[in-house]
Formats: sequence, structure tokens, C-alpha cells
Amino acid sequence: MSLRKFFHRRQWDEERRRELEAHFAHEIDDNCARGMSPQEARRQAYIRFGNPTAVREEIWEMNSMVSLEDLGRDLRFAFRQLRHSPGFAIIAILTLALGIGINTAIFSMVNGLMFSSLHIQNENRVLEIAMRPGDLPWQPNLSLPEANAVRDQASNVFSQVVGDQYGLDGLSMQGTRPDRVFTDYVTPGYFQALGIAPMMGRLLRPDEGVNPGADPVIVLSYAYWKRHFASDPNIVGRQVSIDGHPLTVVGVAPREFRGTNTALTVQAWLPIAMIVPLENVPLETYNSPTNHNTRVYARLQSSAMQPAVNTALTLVSRRLAAQFPKDAKDFRFRTFPLYAGRNAGFDANNSIGRAATLFLGLAGLVLLLACVNVANLLLVRATVREREMVIRSALGARRFRLIRQMLTESLLLALVGGAAGVGLGIWGTSLLSSVNLQTDMPLSFDFSFDWHVLAFSAAVAALAGGVVGIVPAWRLARANLNLILREGGRGIAGGGHKLRDSLVIVQVASALMLLIVASLFTHSLAQSEHTELGFNPNNVISLMMDPGEIGYTDPQARDFYQTLLPRMRAMPGVASATIGQSVPMGLVSNSGDSVTISGYTPPPGEHAPVLSYNLITSDYFPTLGIPIVEGRAINDADTESHLYVAVVSQSFAQKYWPHQDPIGRLITLNNDDPSHPMQVVGVAKDARYQGFSGPFAPYLYVPFLQHYKLNSLETLEVRTLGDPAAMAPEIERAIHSITPGLPVFDVKTLHQALYTPNGLLLFQIVAGLAGVMGTLGLVLAVVGVYGVLSYVVSQKTSEIGVRMALGAQRGDILRMIYKQGLWIVGIGLAVGLGASFGVAHLLGSMIVVSATDPITYISVPALLAVIALLACYIPARRAMRTEPSEALRTQ
Amino acid sequence: MVRSNKEQELLLGTLDMLVLQTLVMGPAHGHTIAHVIEHTSDDVLQIEQGSLYPALHRLEDRGWVSSYWGASENNRKARFYRLTAAGRKQLHLQTNRWQSMVDAIGRVLANAGKVAD
Repeated sequence: MSLRKFFHRRQWDEERRRELEAHFAHEIDDNCARGMSPQEARRQAYIRFGNPTAVREEIWEMNSMVSLEDLGRDLRFAFRQLRHSPGFAIIAILTLALGIGINTAIFSMVNGLMFSSLHIQNENRVLEIAMRPGDLPWQPNLSLPEANAVRDQASNVFSQVVGDQYGLDGLSMQGTRPDRVFTDYVTPGYFQALGIAPMMGRLLRPDEGVNPGADPVIVLSYAYWKRHFASDPNIVGRQVSIDGHPLTVVGVAPREFRGTNTALTVQAWLPIAMIVPLENVPLETYNSPTNHNTRVYARLQSSAMQPAVNTALTLVSRRLAAQFPKDAKDFRFRTFPLYAGRNAGFDANNSIGRAATLFLGLAGLVLLLACVNVANLLLVRATVREREMVIRSALGARRFRLIRQMLTESLLLALVGGAAGVGLGIWGTSLLSSVNLQTDMPLSFDFSFDWHVLAFSAAVAALAGGVVGIVPAWRLARANLNLILREGGRGIAGGGHKLRDSLVIVQVASALMLLIVASLFTHSLAQSEHTELGFNPNNVISLMMDPGEIGYTDPQARDFYQTLLPRMRAMPGVASATIGQSVPMGLVSNSGDSVTISGYTPPPGEHAPVLSYNLITSDYFPTLGIPIVEGRAINDADTESHLYVAVVSQSFAQKYWPHQDPIGRLITLNNDDPSHPMQVVGVAKDARYQGFSGPFAPYLYVPFLQHYKLNSLETLEVRTLGDPAAMAPEIERAIHSITPGLPVFDVKTLHQALYTPNGLLLFQIVAGLAGVMGTLGLVLAVVGVYGVLSYVVSQKTSEIGVRMALGAQRGDILRMIYKQGLWIVGIGLAVGLGASFGVAHLLGSMIVVSATDPITYISVPALLAVIALLACYIPARRAMRTEPSEALRTQ
Repeated sequence: MVRSNKEQELLLGTLDMLVLQTLVMGPAHGHTIAHVIEHTSDDVLQIEQGSLYPALHRLEDRGWVSSYWGASENNRKARFYRLTAAGRKQLHLQTNRWQSMVDAIGRVLANAGKVAD
């Protein structure tokens, strides 16, 4: 086919017409010469020739860009068809929109957390380096000597190696109250390695960050500059202070660059060596091979291949082991893609990855249900349109064309449904993005729409269109059109029991799976909400602070807390007040250390247990409402100059000293304070600090005064007599009357803290999502089952009429219909139950109730069965009421 | 009504060859070609005359024949087709292939006949 011919098709066709005319003229001449009448001559000529229009069409098509042109025609026709039956079109589009919308929403969340771009140059050439000590899981944090070793010794495979450490600091301008910022201390060459260009001023130079304290400069994020400095165009060169140390703003980062984590938004970047003076990190800690605190990113050399990378990293770990035989023995390094460790660690089994897979799977089930419903609608429609198809076929339409027409129609449906679904999905994710996280941390819950999401939604829509269209098209392809023409249009509809039945089975089974998963999540949420917390979350307000952020020294900070507590306790409306480092369900600062316990020897091959502990002042236990069950609590006399003491939790005592008196035993914090063994003076009732399920973890409390270190966040917790939230402003005023510039943040009641991301919030979101999908699944399945059964009954109207005319009782008819319905629904339930068992076991720790929770597995199928029976009953009743004469007439 | 694709292809290939062969004798229009094919095969090959025209179109598209309008023997306007050099070559190729296939089938059948005896 040539383009010239394509554009001259009409002219060409005209020529053909004349050519064929000439042919007929010759043939008729010949026939007349043989003695036929002119009429007979003409007839014979046509018989011998065949259909001249079809011939012309064939030649026309040879000159056409067939697919493109026909697609346009098919689309126009499909559009007209849909406009003629708006009810069908609206239902089909809405159903598809729901299915596609939920997929879009879930995927844009997954995308936002795991795959969205960090806006780094050539992102796929940048890898993250992880470290694995012995047999422990891969962890993202390296020490600075390790990071430097990778940088210096693997330059044959990495062109650049950089790292960063997160910090929380107080930023102030002259005379203003400090604002707490989420900072990122970066190694030299960080911005160059990531290929980031400044929005204004400059970014950090490759020579900045080498010597501790030498480079008092800071780069602001675009969002922080805009919000906190009101987009000040003269910001470059201005003086600010971080934790009381003066710094110069040298530039603003580009708008889209928010750091290397998709969930955390960095507000300012500083040279890494500035962490030494700013956060009072001792030089030996800063340079220590055991201070694993730096995330490391490497840009691949253009020629580097994975085996060479592995070899280089193995060499690095060997040299490090030789250099630090005590601290870096058995360490291994490897690379991960930048997204691999995002927000969850490198474990292939990480919870976000698992949740993402699960929810995409559930969303897929909803889509399947939607598709099956629409396919059903199309099947019914195909029956109605049989005659149209037969007539078009008799007029010479080839079967391929008919099938393509039907596919075009369903693709058009999916396209419109997809567009509506994307809209729904964006709306849904914007709802989720606006969830109140109850935290001042710059957590980004921003699931914006990018080309990943668009491509995904388009693919889902196309898939849906294909799935939906293939069913009726397939039936049409197999149908015997001649038979239909002769038998008055029963050909396609008649033999379809098996196909329709299996569609219903698919619907029931997938709805059951969705509902069971939703029910497991909802039960888990309910159970967590009613779990025994071990503390009393009512009437407690907590406020976080760190006097290090305004440049306080260690004695100054201790003084501050010592002054603060009596001030609080004296305040009217306050029952008690205390300082603790960890808050239940807190996002930061849960201290943990390897602990040596007197009288307890770890099993051979195991190390000393790593346990969480809390630094607390006096009045901690009454403020939180945790009872002391034995011995005494920690009080104001437990200072550095006195005996070091500790209070253990009940689980701690039971686990390590079963059936023995814990009082007077010794515990040592191996890393944090090995020189001060602590004597156990009391046992506190168990309380939940992280998580709402499972057995209580052994926990211990140590005196604040004996263990406080500068630059750690502490939490003031106040038990009030009245509404705790109402007291917050007054408490903040009291704090600022002692230290005017101290940033106070994460102000919330303990009750609110239960609903933070570390508490029940994620549970709520997950259960909510599962609930939405379960409900969607249920609605779609009910509509589907009802639709199919009522259609089947309407097809059987005449049969029912005959049966009743022959004396069948209404009960018999009902039984006949029920039998068919029950059989299908029963199979669907059985299949769904089996599949649910399999899926539920993949939920693992995401649910609190057992994966085989009997209540769920009995109640949900029962509910579904009842609903399905109702869906059967309505058409059955209608069938029973049919007058035999009327039924026969519909034939 | 709808022939399977394979069947069509086989027929088309053969029809192409027959048309080209007909044109060896000189230019001809569609009607003549149809009748020549029917007569020279002693009416064994009854082609649906309509299918000739798409075939002619295809042959022209491939450059094996060229066409022009002229006057027919009974003085009607008709479109004449003429074999091109490429068409001659193609005919040669196709005839050879056809001949060797016929020979091969013939040998197989002859052998089968012997065995049956």
C-alpha cells in the first residue's frame, strides 16, 4: 500500500468502478451473443462475478490504513451505541471507574512511598549502600570511617560516594524564637554527586564538611524558605543560628528536591562536620567505626557492572576488618536500588513492601469484580443485539469486524471509566494525604500524581477493557450466526450457562476474599483499640523539647529540667508532672541497648539481649498511671552521686529471674553506660510502648538524672485534672518563662499519641482501606449475582409457564431456581474460602487476630450466603408469580 | 461466506501465477484474462471472476504488471494489463516452484501406486 494510493483512494475506487463496469459490459455482450435475453445475460454475469461492491471494498481496504481508519469508525459507532443506552453506559462506566479508581489510589500510595522520583540526576545510576554485621539484617546506616572507606577504595566502580545524617535542630534568626527543623548533615560533594542545582545562591561545596566546625553555612529547602522566610529574595548571605551557633545561608535547594527519602522532607542541609559543634557530638564518636549513623549513596561509574561492584565492596569490608579487628569483624556491604530501603529497611519481607503487594492484590480483586459485572452486562446486551449482529453479518460484515466492533465498544467504556477512575483515585489519595498525622515531624504523606501513576492507570484501564470485551467477543466468535438467524435469536443466549455460572463463581469467590481480609483487619483494629495498654492515656498531655537546640550546655539543660518540674507541679489543674525520654507510640527516641543481666546467661550462641529502656524522673509512674507492683519507683534522690538504680517491668522480671526476687539484682547497659551497674529497686506493671499486640516486651526504667545526655529529645508529660489539651498553651507559657526561645513541639495528649503513625493510625488507614474494598466487593458481587440470576429467570419465563401450566406448584418452581442459585453460590463460597485461607496467612504481623479467626470465617461466608440467597429470592418470587398464559405469550 | 485465510492464500498464489501466465501472450483486460484462464484449462478452473480484480490490483502494486486504458476488441473502453520485466521473472520463479512441487507429488503418488499394486 502506498501513501499516494491512500490519498487517491476515491479516484482509484472510481477507476475500479469503471473497470468493473467494463467487465460486466463484456460479459453481458458475450452472454447475449450466446443467445440469452438481456435480463438473463445480466443475471448470469453477476452470478459469475460475485459481489462487485465487496470486490471494490477489498481493493479499497488494500489501499487503506485499515486499522487506523476503522478504529475511528468503530469508535464513532461505539459512541453512538452507548449514547443510545445511557443507563447501561452509566452503570458500566461507574462500575469500571470504581475498579480503576481504587487501583489508581492504592498504586499512587505505593508509588508515593516506594517508587516516586527523588528528583536526582540519573536516579537509576545512584545506589544505596547497606551494611550487614554478621547474621543480622541488612541495615542502611554505616559509620563515617566505613563510608569513607567505600568512597576511597571503590572508586573503580563508583564515581562518587556521599552520605548523610539526619538531625533535629532549632533554627532562629536574630531576635526570633527558634523553630525546630529537620536537618540533613551531608558529606562533602553530596549535591554534586546527586546532580542537584541550586534554586538560588549555591549549594554546599565539595570542600565543605571536611573539618569539624570549619564551614558555618546552611542551605534551605525550597518549602522551608517559602514558608518560614516568606520567599525572601535576599535570603542568601543572611545570618541564622542553629542550636545557638551562627551560620550563613548560602542558598536554597530546588523546589522538587526534598532529600533522599520519599516520606521525610528535609528542611535544611548542613556540612556533615558541623554536626560536631552544633549537636555536641564528641570527635571520637563522630569518627568512631561503631557509630552507625550515616546513610550512604554511590553513583555508579558508567562502565561498572554488578560483579565488579560486589568485588570492590568485599575488598572494602576485608580491609576494614583488618583495620578495626574488634569493631568491624564480619561486616559485609552491598548495594541496593535507591527505592529498596525506603521507609522500611532492606528486608525483602519488609512490611511496606508486603502491605503494598497485598493491597494491590485486593484492588486487583475489586477490579476483577467490576470487570465481571460489566462483562455480564455486555453479555446480556449482546443477546439483545444478536439480531443486529446477524443482519450486519448477512450484509457482508466479516466476523472479525463484528468482534473488533464489540472490543472497541468495551475499550471505549474502559477508557471513559478509566478517566473517571483516575479522578476518583486522585480524590481518594488527596483525602489520605490530608490525614492528620498528629506529629510535628516533617513526614510527607504526599501521594501526588506522576507519570508512573498515569501509566499504571492507563494499563489497568486497557486491561479492564480487554477483559470486559473479550467475553462477549469470544462468544460471538464461536456462535453460529446462521443458526441464530434461523432460530429467531436464541443462539448466543441459549448455550451460555457455563460461562455465566463461572462468572458468578468468580464474583462470589473474590467478594468473599475481600470481605474476609477486610474483616480480619477491622477485627484487628477493634482488638487493638481495646487492648490493655498498661498505662492510662486519659488526661495526659506531652510536649517534646531539647534545650540543646538553643545552645544549652549539659549543666544548663539539667538545671532547666530541674526548674521546670516543680513549676509544673505547682500549676493549678496539674495532678503530676514528669520527664521521660520515650513516650508510648512515640516516633523518635526509643532508647535500646545490649543489657547484661546478673544471674542470667544467654543461651549458647546468642548475644546479651537488646532491650528498650526509658529515662524517667520522679512521678513518672503516677503520671502515666503505671502501678508499681514491688519495691519502689524512681525518685529525686536517684542522682549521679548516688547508687545507680533501675526499675524493671513485670515481664522483665518474669523472663530473666523467674520465681526469684528481682529486687537488689544488677543490670548493666553495655554500650551506653558500662561503668555503672544498676541495682533493681522496683518492678512496674507492664505497659505497651510500641505496638498493640503480642506479649509485652521486657522493659526497664532508669533515672533521668543518672543518664541524661545533652542533645536528646525529652518529653514533658503532665497529668491534668481537667481537659489536657486546654492546658497546653499555659504549659508552653510556663516553659518559655524559664527559657524564652526553646522550641516546643509534638504537643499532644497521650490519647492523640495512640493514633499517630507509630500507634493505631496506620492500622486505621489499612483497616479503612480494606473496609472500603470489602464493601465495594460486596456491592459489586450482590449486583452481579442478582443481575445474572434475574436474567436467567427471565430467560426461563416460558419454561416456567409451561411447567406451571402442566401443574407444577410454586414451591417447585422456587426450588428449581434456588437449586441453581445455591449451587453456583456454594461453589463460589468454597473457592473463596480456600483462597482466603491462603491470602490470610500472607498478612502475617499486619493483623492482630489469628489468620484463621473462626468468627470471621464463619460470619463472613454466612453473611454473603444470606445476601446471595436474597439476590436469588427476588427473581424467584417474580418467576413464581408469573401467570402461565402470560409466560407462554412471551415466547 | 468467509473463507479461511490459509485457503485464500493458496488460491491467491495460484491465481497470481495463472494471471501472469495469461499475460505472457500479450496485454489483456480483466474480462479476457478471466475467460482465457477458464478456456485454456478446458473449463476445469472456474474462477469467481470478482476475485480476479483484487489479484490484478495486488500484482500491479508489486510492480509485476502495469495497466493502461485502451479500447477492447468490441470497441469498449477497458483497462489493459501488461506483464513487466519483474513480472516475467516472478512468473518464471513461480512456475518453477509449482513444477517441482507437482513433480514431487507425482513421484510420491507413483510410489504409492506401486506399493498398492
